[in-house]
Amino acid sequence: MAKKPDGYIELKFGPRWRYIAPARLFIQSFVAIAIEDQNKADGIAMAASELLENAVKYAKGEETSIIVQAFPEQNLITCSVTNQGDATSVKELQTLYKKIMSGDPLEAYIAQMREAAVRQDGKSQLGLARIRYEVGANIKLEITPDYLITITIEVH
Amino acid sequence: MGNKLGIEPIAQEKIKISVNDVGNAIEVSFVGDIDMEDPSVILDPLFEKVHSGVVQNQITEVLANFKELNFLNSSGIKAVAKWIMKLAMLPPDKKYSIRIQHNKAITWQVTSLPTLTFLVPGAVKIE
Repeated sequence: MAKKPDGYIELKFGPRWRYIAPARLFIQSFVAIAIEDQNKADGIAMAASELLENAVKYAKGEETSIIVQAFPEQNLITCSVTNQGDATSVKELQTLYKKIMSGDPLEAYIAQMREAAVRQDGKSQLGLARIRYEVGANIKLEITPDYLITITIEVH
Repeated sequence: MGNKLGIEPIAQEKIKISVNDVGNAIEVSFVGDIDMEDPSVILDPLFEKVHSGVVQNQITEVLANFKELNFLNSSGIKAVAKWIMKLAMLPPDKKYSIRIQHNKAITWQVTSLPTLTFLVPGAVKIE
């Protein structure tokens, strides 16, 4: 991704649930204008919303950020969500990421849905599997030594 | 409108859910957005009432009408999946089918809802 984006938006907010829906709608509008593809814009907005939900639910710090970048020449949109985790949440996320990224996206999503249906801990752990299958996104996970978590999706 | 199961409509936050008789079937209609932090608080008891009522009354079909649902987060998908998975546990003489009605103009419905038909093969159809 050497080229500069044609446009980008960056949002930072205290991790509060009520800010997710307006962020989703804003991102949807931004992507629709950037790439003139409503279906893709809807999918990326859904993905961004799922990532923000996870970030807000499991945030250990006060600031959550999201950056959406458009690269129209490469027909590429990227969306990165960053939040502060801790050792426990990072370990859980790494295990989930490995599981979801292996194998066929649809099979991984169905398996995750079946598992979610019987979970007793209140979590769904469906967001990443949903994004991978429904948006066809490549998903990258980066974690710094001080547990800053960044999940980036790339959608062509 | 109303339903033979005596299930009251729900109107909370950004979502309205109603349960109605449609011929011999029961229709569960969703209007608005399901994007709250824990939709299971609303959806799990509702689906349990629908499931047990349908089984007790030997109703053979439930219409799940999502046509006016603008957004469903993955926690909401979990709740729907949980309901569908109940079908796998029923003995043959108690089984019913779920017919999902979706809106092709709403992107998430086109990508999300068909995946629910894979959970319990043969039990869920989409139209």
